[in-house]
Amino acid sequence: MSVSKAKKPMTLESLLPKIVLAPTTAVMLVCMYGFMIWTGALSFTKSRMLPQWDFVGFDQYAKLFANPRWDVALNNLVVFGVLFIAVSLLLGLFLAILLDQKIRLEGTLRTIYLYPMAVSFVVTGTAWKWILNPGLGLEKLVRDLGFENFEFRWLVEQDMAIYTIVIAAVWQSSGFVMAMFLAGLRGVDDSLIKAAEIDGASKMKAYWYVILPILRPVFFSAIVILSHIAIKSFDLVQALTGGGPGYASDLPANFMYTYAFNRAQMGVGASSAMIMLMGVLAIIVPYLYSELRGGKNGR
Amino acid sequence: MSTKKSKWTPALIARTAAAWGIALLLFFPLIFMGFTAFKTELQAIAVPSLWAFEPTLENFHVVNERSDYVQFAWNSVVTSVVSTVLGLLIAAPAAYSMAFSPTKGTNGLLLWMLSTKFMPAVGALLPIYVIFQQLGLLDTKTALVIIFTMMNLPIMVWMLYTYFKDIPHEILEAARMDGASVWQEFRHVLLPLGIGGLASTGLLCLVLAWNEAFWALNLGAADAGTLATMMVSYSSPEGLFWAKLSAASLMAIAPIVVIGWFSQKQLVQGLTFGAVK
Repeated sequence: MSVSKAKKPMTLESLLPKIVLAPTTAVMLVCMYGFMIWTGALSFTKSRMLPQWDFVGFDQYAKLFANPRWDVALNNLVVFGVLFIAVSLLLGLFLAILLDQKIRLEGTLRTIYLYPMAVSFVVTGTAWKWILNPGLGLEKLVRDLGFENFEFRWLVEQDMAIYTIVIAAVWQSSGFVMAMFLAGLRGVDDSLIKAAEIDGASKMKAYWYVILPILRPVFFSAIVILSHIAIKSFDLVQALTGGGPGYASDLPANFMYTYAFNRAQMGVGASSAMIMLMGVLAIIVPYLYSELRGGKNGR
Repeated sequence: MSTKKSKWTPALIARTAAAWGIALLLFFPLIFMGFTAFKTELQAIAVPSLWAFEPTLENFHVVNERSDYVQFAWNSVVTSVVSTVLGLLIAAPAAYSMAFSPTKGTNGLLLWMLSTKFMPAVGALLPIYVIFQQLGLLDTKTALVIIFTMMNLPIMVWMLYTYFKDIPHEILEAARMDGASVWQEFRHVLLPLGIGGLASTGLLCLVLAWNEAFWALNLGAADAGTLATMMVSYSSPEGLFWAKLSAASLMAIAPIVVIGWFSQKQLVQGLTFGAVK
């Protein structure tokens, strides 16, 4: 609050904005810090089935990092996060540029492209489980077409299972990314490309040097939303592979869930949750701040 | 952007065909699922897939009998609608305050609210689980409503803020000059101008709550389970009946697909988090 305002008498009218803002802020403060601190505290205790408060220092963290399954989950998160975001962005941008011309019934198309986003991850997972099932889906189909040796069994292969999660997630999100870019391209003046072409740039170069920089805010929103989805992909793993085969396609969220609830290792679960929190804090929050700093908030 | 219709040149035809081709590809898994839901189990696993068959409603009957679809659906409706309304009631004043009476801290506050959205839900699961256990709220709709509301609050505030910010301040000032009370200002100026934003935000949160599986699975079970819970119970390894699974999926997503179709504008705005207006 600026100094000149503070001198005014406190009336209900002037306090109202603060009063109405308070509940939201309070709820978020409690959720963010309250629960985070609680989880953090739990991660330093011996808690198993139920929370208890015997302090054990970093024992749970040591246990966590000695666990090969946690290793797999962390690796998977990196592989999944990077591939999912990169492929969705590239595919979405490519499709958007392809379609960035006047097309009939664009509104309807846009809705269809976005529909996968409106569908629950659980349903997506189920549909792809069918398509990727060696005995029923793609593999069987291609074999019946006469290619007897065709193999496509990523779903049941340890090394490849995580990529099936990427496929399903990309399918769900690329239409959405495209809709975002299409909207962004709509705001770009056609004459910019023409001008660049007159100056001797190829179409490719015109897009690279002129259009993409303009689309920077769209990249930003898309990346923010995609990483948000990547962090939330617990449901998709649960529905598509159940973390299997074995634990080959576990993500940290699934790891945490398994240990805290199915294996009565609440302390290990809490420490894994803390590591996830730290990771997010270290990567996404700085990105948010650097992109949005200095008054130009909004999109 | 020009809205006048262009002529059917070969290039336009090619682009349109490509656009619809992609749409079909994106939609295919859902279409396939829709077809499978009306097949018998034997037809469902036939390869190559049957596209001509006598549709049966048997799967829907079985799903309904085995897992009481109506109850799950009712839980989904109650939790998503109540949490959305509640969330709008809390978030709209906050967004209003930030958009029209910004202070130095507003920017930081907004960023901080948005960043909370990136905290993995698992980080809060243990405390929430324990609290609800103590309060006896596990497996109740109340618990899910509370969680869904909290979960969507940052996004709601953020989106509503971007919409409210686009409303010119002068209009509100003019209303104040004319002696409008806060309520009148809200009722006659803000609401009519912001209704589009409210609708899109509401629809997005409705969809998010409807699809939410993490919390629904962890906090709800028999009594408060939503359709997401029901779906997961069908995809368990011992129950791989594809036709029934498809029927259950179809029943779980149908309400969203239908509502989305009739409010396409809000759906597009909402799902792109307000980026497409």
